[in-house]
Amino acid sequence: MMLQGFLLGLSTGATCLAYCTPVLVPYLLGEGKSIRQTAGTLSQFMLGRLLGYLLFAVFAWMASYYVSTLTDQREMLTGVIYILLASLQLWYGMLQPIAPCAGSSWRDRVAQLAQSRPVLLPLLMGLFTGLNLCPPFLLAFAAAGENPTLGYSLLFFLSFFGGTALFFLPLPLLGACKNISRLKNIGRLAAAVMSVYYFYTGMLLLLGGIFKL
Amino acid sequence: MTAFTGNLGWRKAGLLCLPMLIITAVLLLYGKPLADPGKLLPAAITYLFVNATFFCMIYTGQTNKYRSRFFILVSLLFVVSFIANLIEVRGTMELSTANMLDGETPLCPLVIPMLIIPAALTNTIIFPGSFFAAHAGIAPMIVLWLGFSVAVGRGWCSWICFFGGMDEGFSRLCRKPKITDIDKKWTALPWAVLLGIVLTSAVTLSPTYCAWLCPFKTVTEFPAIESVKTALQAVIFTSLFIGLVVVLPILTGRRTQCGLFCPFGAFQSIFNKINIFAVRIDRAACVDCKLCLKQCPTFSIDEQSLQAGKTLLSCGKCGKCIDRCPRQAISFHIKGTPLHVNRLTARILFLYPAFTFAAVIGGGCIYGGLERIFRLLLTGSMIH
Repeated sequence: MMLQGFLLGLSTGATCLAYCTPVLVPYLLGEGKSIRQTAGTLSQFMLGRLLGYLLFAVFAWMASYYVSTLTDQREMLTGVIYILLASLQLWYGMLQPIAPCAGSSWRDRVAQLAQSRPVLLPLLMGLFTGLNLCPPFLLAFAAAGENPTLGYSLLFFLSFFGGTALFFLPLPLLGACKNISRLKNIGRLAAAVMSVYYFYTGMLLLLGGIFKL
Repeated sequence: MTAFTGNLGWRKAGLLCLPMLIITAVLLLYGKPLADPGKLLPAAITYLFVNATFFCMIYTGQTNKYRSRFFILVSLLFVVSFIANLIEVRGTMELSTANMLDGETPLCPLVIPMLIIPAALTNTIIFPGSFFAAHAGIAPMIVLWLGFSVAVGRGWCSWICFFGGMDEGFSRLCRKPKITDIDKKWTALPWAVLLGIVLTSAVTLSPTYCAWLCPFKTVTEFPAIESVKTALQAVIFTSLFIGLVVVLPILTGRRTQCGLFCPFGAFQSIFNKINIFAVRIDRAACVDCKLCLKQCPTFSIDEQSLQAGKTLLSCGKCGKCIDRCPRQAISFHIKGTPLHVNRLTARILFLYPAFTFAAVIGGGCIYGGLERIFRLLLTGSMIH
């Protein structure tokens, strides 16, 4: 069972990586940290992603295979997740104040929160990408739904996560570029650019789902 | 306005232009005489114009002045010949799904950065073109692009890009810029767009820049408006073209699409690292007037680079700063050689590959455009 999940993760890991890099790479570049620090940020992101996976494991157990056939609702859920992801990226790329002050505007308050809880942003990004119903994830969802026990579902998603996580291992090497000061600016702007993509895709999925109801 | 002339006389300049006369004759005629006498006049005008441009560059020592006129003309006539060709072949500028499935889309070099990751991951070229087609097929375009990129790096953007001339043309309409203070952080936007399109192309397995962001779709081919999605795409293309290629260049006097948005320009900058030619500033001669910094069309000189005597990685080697420098402190340079010697040799060695490629691509565009215009004048239609 665990081997099955792990192998599925290994076989679809490259696609998982491709789906996560538009969120992860701009963020890691924008942070401009060293390899070691980048590995730390990546593990926070992965933790969020794992959380997303486990949430789905419970969901898969509760709903069984039946839910994965509800295409419209699935699209709407992905749409909402994309819009949340786009909001996070836009805030990170464009709206986050460079030096947050103790002001009372929402931007200042959010910036203060992000500064006092630095783990929050990568965790949330990881969670939203973990909840993203990409093709490999749907495969795992279908496979986990075949067995009715919660333990099976959790273990399956855990091992699936383990298989895909191997593909993320080279990403901390982005930290080797931390001395290129322009990359920080590029990463943040790229996050803003990506937010447009996610917002558009999210709106299409959400509106498409609503109209089909 | 001054320029580094190198004291060349008519005779020496003429001799230096002789190889170009032969090269362009062979390249423009594909090594054989023209079979159709109706094409003789546009071919002759193209040949004379191309070589007159090169001669003026060599004789006067001014690079940008003549390059710019050539470059703008190439862009204008490219649009004429490209649209006429599309209408001739397809009957419309619109690109339908059927055209894409038939692999009839000519490869634009701007697609190249988006092809790399999907090709590596899936062994697939994510572009609806033909691999070996003679007219802008994928293989010939990649070979041409690779050759030019190795030869002159981001010089592509100032010598060969058939879109850049539009940006440059509108920027030249501005005598006194209305917008002069542009935040330096925006010069990172082309890299951000590059990162964004490369990653999204890998996810969607489609060239996202062409599908969503290319301003030049407005004046070349665009997806047939068949749905809300394609209508939205058309709105984005047109808005980007009007904003980045027309309005902002007029207001800033700079090439804003090339310097602040084009991801392919950012991609080409990487080749400036491996390319042997560079533009250098002689700090001993420089008086810090900062004219180069204010005039650089692609925002490739800043305070720090000026102090270091270099241009930034994004330098398009257009030669504008070299022409405009009142102290002749800026010059083309061959990496690894001393700064003060062989300035003339470095310039000639750069101009030859740059102009040869410009003549091949640009000459073809000029010839194609002129041929269509002559056809229009003689027969009342541009179409065969």
